[in-house]
Amino acid sequence: MLEVKGLSKSFGGFLAVNKATLEVNKGEIVAVIGPNGAGKTTLFNLVTGIIKPDNGQVIFKGEEITGLPAYKTCKKGITRSFQVVNIFSRLTVFENVRISVLSQQGKTYRWFTSSKEFANEETVELLESVGLIHRKDNVCGALSHGDQKVLEIAIALAGKPELLILDEPTAGMSPEETARCIDLIKRLSQSLGLTILFCEHDMELVFAIAQKIMVMVRGSTIAQGPPDEVRRNQQVQDAYLGGS
Amino acid sequence: MAKKPLIILLLVAAALLLLPFGLPRFYIYLTALIVTMGLLATSLNFALGYGGIYQLHHGVFYGTGAYATAVMITKLGYSPWLAFIAGPLAAAALSLVMGIICIRLSKLYFGMLQISLGSLVWAIVYRWYSFTGGDDGIHGISIPSLIGSSKGAYYFTMIVAGLAMFFMYRILHSPFGSTLQGIRDNAVRSQAIGVNVRLHQLAALVMAGFFAGVAGVLFVVVDNSVFPDMLFWTLSLEITIMALLGGWFTFLGPMLGAAVIVSLRTFVSTYTEYWTFAMGLLLMLVILFLPEGVLGKVFEIWKRRKSLEVRS
Amino acid sequence: MEFISAFCSPGVLCQILLGLSRTVILFIVASGLSLILGVLRIPNIAHGSLYMIGAFMAYTVSKAFGGGIMGFWMAILLAPLGVALVSFIIERGIFSRLYEREHIMLFLLTFSFSLVFGDLVKMVWGAEYRSVSTPSFFQGSIPIFGLPFPIYNFFLLLMGPIVAILLWIIVNKTKMGKISRAAAVDREMVSAVGINVSLVFCIVFVIGCFLAGLGGALVAPIVNVVLGMDHTLIMEAFLIVIIGGLGNIWGALLGSLIFGLTQSLGILIWPQFGIVFPYAAVIVVLSFRPTGLLRSTW
Repeated sequence: MLEVKGLSKSFGGFLAVNKATLEVNKGEIVAVIGPNGAGKTTLFNLVTGIIKPDNGQVIFKGEEITGLPAYKTCKKGITRSFQVVNIFSRLTVFENVRISVLSQQGKTYRWFTSSKEFANEETVELLESVGLIHRKDNVCGALSHGDQKVLEIAIALAGKPELLILDEPTAGMSPEETARCIDLIKRLSQSLGLTILFCEHDMELVFAIAQKIMVMVRGSTIAQGPPDEVRRNQQVQDAYLGGS
Repeated sequence: MAKKPLIILLLVAAALLLLPFGLPRFYIYLTALIVTMGLLATSLNFALGYGGIYQLHHGVFYGTGAYATAVMITKLGYSPWLAFIAGPLAAAALSLVMGIICIRLSKLYFGMLQISLGSLVWAIVYRWYSFTGGDDGIHGISIPSLIGSSKGAYYFTMIVAGLAMFFMYRILHSPFGSTLQGIRDNAVRSQAIGVNVRLHQLAALVMAGFFAGVAGVLFVVVDNSVFPDMLFWTLSLEITIMALLGGWFTFLGPMLGAAVIVSLRTFVSTYTEYWTFAMGLLLMLVILFLPEGVLGKVFEIWKRRKSLEVRS
Repeated sequence: MEFISAFCSPGVLCQILLGLSRTVILFIVASGLSLILGVLRIPNIAHGSLYMIGAFMAYTVSKAFGGGIMGFWMAILLAPLGVALVSFIIERGIFSRLYEREHIMLFLLTFSFSLVFGDLVKMVWGAEYRSVSTPSFFQGSIPIFGLPFPIYNFFLLLMGPIVAILLWIIVNKTKMGKISRAAAVDREMVSAVGINVSLVFCIVFVIGCFLAGLGGALVAPIVNVVLGMDHTLIMEAFLIVIIGGLGNIWGALLGSLIFGLTQSLGILIWPQFGIVFPYAAVIVVLSFRPTGLLRSTW
């Protein structure tokens, strides 16, 4: 479904992503792991179009989408959540998700009818599926960090994606919240058949749900494959897993 | 809408309707002027408060709408009713052109490029004596007799401004308006959910410019004149003060701010020639102590009372 | 061919130099504005009013010393200092408390000061315009390209580069200058190293406003010192700062040159719309280099 070939990006002399490669097949749950600063978030930004790559290709469902701006990649079927919570802080939880649904439905140019008449059922459904329905009228600033991260996922889901990219979805979450998040990811993959690409630092989580792992070090891909294979890979052990 | 604010609004509307029958001509003129400026300030807030766009030279669209109308009537000899339609369209067109040029930039750079483009328009109008009256402006513009009288101009202003406010309200509460506010709060997030941020902002700019043009037309009807100062940056900042004073995250804030500023200016000026000083001080106080504006503060207090009620 | 030789004729060149000598004033004011904008990130609209106050103060000082050469030099010295004092008061009193606010609020705050100052000038000096006479030393003309060129304007032409070089030395060669450039880029880092950023900002602000006052004092002998002289000037100064690059002194010089040249040429080519040319030039520059011609500190 998603193919990344030789993607590179530097910021004023600093090579953040260096000929990275990645392959994600339909329906898979793929994890990208690597030390801090390895370029995982930059990679996600390049794929989704938040920034433009210097070199390389991004191919989605057979179509080249390299360098397409973020709003276009979203329409193609890729949505994402952000590592640092990036929501519409002044609006309520309900409104946050509703905007995303409205965008997905292509209704953002409707200028006369009240937005309260649109997308209500879909928004309720989404909030129920992620377990945030009881908080729907809270202003986002008042939510707990864990709930905000789940809201991030809900906003991304509203886009009806085929590929869902999650940037450190459980960062900063308590153990219970993490467990619930893992459940959610599993459910999304099974019931909706979503292809999921995520990056994480929590190795237990990664090895628990990922069907394939890609390892990034200093911007390059050093390994890619099923979890066991990656765990046994010498390079990966030296670079990241601390040898064993 | 909740009951209490609705009652207040209806009372205000009734008062506005009956006003011309009780007050001398000057006050009718003044109220019409206040509503015109309020409409202008609201159109600014459309872009600034709701869209988060650094619209630093909004006045140029107001002036363009007014001048387009004035020139069409006086120099080109068109029917005033046609001119009234041309004014906002000219303002919207200018908005589109300026928007396309400026939209690539963000925040302060956008504002400054808009100021330079606006200054260009001002400079041209200021110098084109034969067409725009130069630094004299155009006076004694003939208005159809139906709306030419003091009362006629007043009711025309009320109806047109009322309609404009109604449309702006609907737009801001529509999906487009929600998207715009989303862009204001988080442009990156909006992109990530599939919103073409630039296009939406451009649309918002054109709308804001259009309604500013409407305010320009109303000024011509009320005052029968135009002058280059309408296009100068100081007016744009005065409108911003009105929006800020009233509360620029609220819909009716700017109208309230306009009412305060125009009224104060009229009355303070009868006592002293230093109104500018007073306005400067007022602005300073608002920035220091009341950045959410009067209406913003009112809403804040109301919300706090409500949450206290809920808890008890 | 004829057009070019007509263009390079002494008359035209003199006109251009004359225009440039007036643009030196713009440069001096704009450099101060650029400094403040680059380091403190405040778009200081009150800069124009401070320029105006500088001009009025120069009038008063010059008159107090009986006009003449003594009056002139005292005015050039004391008026900018007076303006610097005023700016010191408002910076310490109000601005320093508000650096955390969003730009647009600071922008509006400086606008409020410009409104207040505008009327303060009216209160102190009245509404009629004032004249400052050119001291005898500067009266008369010297031949340039065979045509008489006013000595005072020649003096202004010299002042431009002098101020530019002095500023460049201060910003790039002194410790204060280096600290302020660092603070422009990363406020927190500089204060984490133990430097009193607030003091640095104060000094930069005062220097910037001193320049505004200097511009006003220098322009006083050749224009009518009048209310409202701040309005067009501040707009032009802003545009120059933007096309030059925020916080860049050489950018301000380049911007002023472009502004002055296009204005002089504009007036020669199409006198009625001469003043439109600089604005058009600004738009052209900004369309290709939106962040300014030279590097900005933002």
